[in-house]
Amino acid sequence: MSSSSSSSSSPPCPKKMITLKSSDGETFEIEEIAALQSKTLENMIDENCASTPIPLPNVKGKILAKVVEFCTKHAEAGADAETLRAWDAEFVGVEHAIVFDYILAANFLEIPTLLDLACESVAEMIKGKTPDEIRKFFNINNAFSPEEEEDVRRQNQWAFE
Amino acid sequence: MSRRLRRRVSKKGKEKVVAHSYTEFEEEVSTSEQNGDVNWTCLPDDTVIQLFSCLNYRDRASLASTCKTWRCLSASPCLWNSLDLRAHKCDSAMASSLASRCRNLQKLRFRGAESADAIIFLQARNLRELSGDYCRKITDATLSVIAARHELLECLQLGPDFCERITSDAVKQIAFCCPNLTKLRLSGIRDVQGDAISALGKHCPHLTDVGFLDCLKVDELALGNVASLRFLSVAGTSNVKWGVVSHVWHKLPNLVGLDVSRTDVGPAAVSRLLISSQSLKVLCALNCPVLEGDANFTVPKIKGKSLLAHFTDIFEGIASLFADITSKGKTVFLDWRNSKKTHKSMDEMMSWFEWILSHSLLRSAENNPQGLDDFWLKQGAPLLLILMQSSQEDVQERAATGLATFVVIDDEHASIDRGRAEAVMRDGGIRLLLDLAKSWREGLQSEAAKAIANLSVNVNVAKAVAEEGGIDILASLARSMNRLVAEEAAGGLWNLSVGEEHKGAIAEAGGVKALVDLIFKWSSGGDGVLERAAGALANLAADDKCSMAVALAGGVHALVMLARNCKFEGVQEQAARALANLAAHGDSNGNNAAVGQEVGALEALVQLTRSPHEGVRQEAAGALWNLSFDDRNREAIASAGGVEALVALAQTCSNASPGLQERAAGALWGLSVSEANSVAIGREGGVAPLIALARSDAEDVHETAAGALWNLAFNPGNALRIVEEGGVPALVHLCSSSVSKMARFMAALALAYMFDGRMDEYALVGTSSESTSKIVSLDGSRRMALKHIEAFILMFSDRQAFTTAAASSAPAALAEVTEGARIQEAGHLRCSGAEIGRFISMLKNPSVLKACAAFALLQFTIPGGRHALHHAKLMQNAGAARVLRATAAAATAPLEAKIFARIVLRNLEHHQAESSKGI
Repeated sequence: MSSSSSSSSSPPCPKKMITLKSSDGETFEIEEIAALQSKTLENMIDENCASTPIPLPNVKGKILAKVVEFCTKHAEAGADAETLRAWDAEFVGVEHAIVFDYILAANFLEIPTLLDLACESVAEMIKGKTPDEIRKFFNINNAFSPEEEEDVRRQNQWAFE
Repeated sequence: MSRRLRRRVSKKGKEKVVAHSYTEFEEEVSTSEQNGDVNWTCLPDDTVIQLFSCLNYRDRASLASTCKTWRCLSASPCLWNSLDLRAHKCDSAMASSLASRCRNLQKLRFRGAESADAIIFLQARNLRELSGDYCRKITDATLSVIAARHELLECLQLGPDFCERITSDAVKQIAFCCPNLTKLRLSGIRDVQGDAISALGKHCPHLTDVGFLDCLKVDELALGNVASLRFLSVAGTSNVKWGVVSHVWHKLPNLVGLDVSRTDVGPAAVSRLLISSQSLKVLCALNCPVLEGDANFTVPKIKGKSLLAHFTDIFEGIASLFADITSKGKTVFLDWRNSKKTHKSMDEMMSWFEWILSHSLLRSAENNPQGLDDFWLKQGAPLLLILMQSSQEDVQERAATGLATFVVIDDEHASIDRGRAEAVMRDGGIRLLLDLAKSWREGLQSEAAKAIANLSVNVNVAKAVAEEGGIDILASLARSMNRLVAEEAAGGLWNLSVGEEHKGAIAEAGGVKALVDLIFKWSSGGDGVLERAAGALANLAADDKCSMAVALAGGVHALVMLARNCKFEGVQEQAARALANLAAHGDSNGNNAAVGQEVGALEALVQLTRSPHEGVRQEAAGALWNLSFDDRNREAIASAGGVEALVALAQTCSNASPGLQERAAGALWGLSVSEANSVAIGREGGVAPLIALARSDAEDVHETAAGALWNLAFNPGNALRIVEEGGVPALVHLCSSSVSKMARFMAALALAYMFDGRMDEYALVGTSSESTSKIVSLDGSRRMALKHIEAFILMFSDRQAFTTAAASSAPAALAEVTEGARIQEAGHLRCSGAEIGRFISMLKNPSVLKACAAFALLQFTIPGGRHALHHAKLMQNAGAARVLRATAAAATAPLEAKIFARIVLRNLEHHQAESSKGI
């Protein structure tokens, strides 16, 4: 047991950090252990592509900062479930446009915990709404023809009875 | 829109992913920035599918109805792997409309025979697992067709309700049609015959798991020949020949688990099976009276074999089966679930344990046999909590139902066992239940909500539920479109709303609105949900602030609608109680008047006082009592036939509960505030029943009856009736010995009205041959009444304070007299001008009534009393001061009258000063 990191007397092993670069050129440092929550990043680390800043051309700096924060929080040892639950609720309690970006980022980076959280929160917004209310909520134009409309109604009728 | 299909993220190579999505995302960013808002329909397909999977079927259908892209994605096969039709109406037309999406359906749950008939129209030829409940009416024909159309079926479960119409013929058909069958669990078949079992053994080589639960008869010999069996349950099955079993089943070469719970198995068979079977690892015998009753039985200790029973350590028994895991006791299930290594045979066995245990525990909870307290606290509750975390949805549901059931120890009085409820709470059960309640699966939602509701009868649990965010969750479930979910959630809110501290939180969580909406949503045909919603609103309406929220949410209209239209007594009772509570806030809010103005409200409540159900009559009378506080309501109740109805109610309630008696008398008290109603009550025969109620030992009853008689006695005709019906002794008795000061006071005032002379004039006017004798008998009554009124006044007159007050004019001395005489609740009484006038003229009466009148006016004008100012004004208008001064100064008047009159004068001065200050 010479100078291994497990010895308490030796200086702590520096945390292994990797650098991420957002679409708008900002760079972010994240601990490797936290980054491993992303399957996309995990693959890159496994293939030794993580020594230089990893470009993430479709995640804006504003969102990437939050994603790094999320991964770091979830990699923290010893956080009890209750605290984390509250933290998550706050994290996702933001403008809908940002939740949208969370979903895109989580999907691209393949972070299942973040994707679950973001989808759950969108689901929560949809629950109990009528199709018209959902359209309004998501700002969707109804592109169904009257015949399609009837067809859709018939197809989904079962769930309402 | 065709862009969408390109976006499915390829998982083959990472460079490709990055490069591929790069162009796309750039495109997206630009569009989203152009619009100034995000375009949600641009979400990658996978994420939309994930979004769908977070929703229940209704919400999925709504989301699918919004646009073409999402409609298309909603039909993705991965969203149609399994289907739970239990909450939905399912007929052939409906099933046909689903057929195109069910091509790859693997797993189906359904409810009831009608749905069973429709299953074939789903054309789900690839179905592997089918499970149904409420199957009492399923026929052999239906089941045979289902088996024939689903040849790939591997698992078939029907129960726990008894499949009374299924016979061995259908079992044979299943054997012929479904060669891949591995699991067959059927409940409540009358006779499972040998040829059917043999057919299963012959045609279903993979059949490893069989359950014939709660059957009347099973061919033991034939079962002993199904060599493929690994797991067998005959729980609850009767007429089992244990002699045959113990000599045959131990030869089953693969049998690992055997469940004989809830049977009459005895020690001999148990020992023999455990000892002689080579393969058997677990014998489960929960709730077996013969076995448990044998004091000499000792569990054979054989390595690698366990007996699970109420008297053994179930956790240890299961843990001992794991050779490689060092699990101790309670952690065995969690360790197994968390273990990364998969061990197929152990997994099968643990899943089987979960299934049979959830069944047996639920049955034990339902039957609630004596002597299991210790078992529930030490093993049952922890097991149920662990089963709630199972990966099998039906196990989770049964465990939640088990929790909801095992805490209830008395169905009728809805009382729960405190120790059991707190055991659930201690082991983290509240969090688990709330998590289940948040799941999108409605079966779990309703069972979890039911458990939360039942547990919340305990105040400590209710507090924990509120602290863990349960009120928000229940309020959101109360908005569910699924009636069962909404019903249980409303039940939860009902129980939580008992606690004062939760009422505001429920209103804040939108619970009031949700509950009112429930009433409109299920106004026809949802008795259970309506009763719970109305019950919760009733509790909430008892709080001043929440009652405003109830009214604001349209609750008055909703509750009146229930009172008018609903035929179910439980609902009527709660609706009437809610209206009573809404109207209970007097002047502090406008709900009292608002209820009366709702079309048909008063008529409906009057009608409900004639209900055959005592609870309904009681709450309706209570509502009318509270509503009669408002002058306009009072007269409207009378014109809606309220007098006749309430007199009739009073006449028939001699054997009813004190609650009903109190409210019947109370409502008559409320109505009798106007003299016209008083006269009507007397004419309809209300006097005699009120006298009877005044004789009640229950304080609340005789107090309200005394109030009503007091009001009635104002009218000389009624006064005479009271005398004739024998009311004097009853009132005298109350006046001298009731524990309630109010009852004594009002009885004294009633007697004072009766004998201040007006009745005599009335009796003389009605001259008949009997009048003389009447007057003679009146004299006796009068003497008795006056004597007791005097005694009553003396009870409230402290000699020493009087002497001091007589000697000095110091305010302190008078204040001391007031303190001694004051009757707190009398401050709530409100008198009309006529009544006040009558007391003023009584001041001139030479008898003890002079003191009595001064005593009454003192009570009515004490500063701080709710209506003191009102009374003071009436007295000023009537020129009372002059009469009071005369009384105070009269040489002949008794000391009490003089001092009381001086206090009243001071009270009047006080009010005058206050009101001039106010101006």
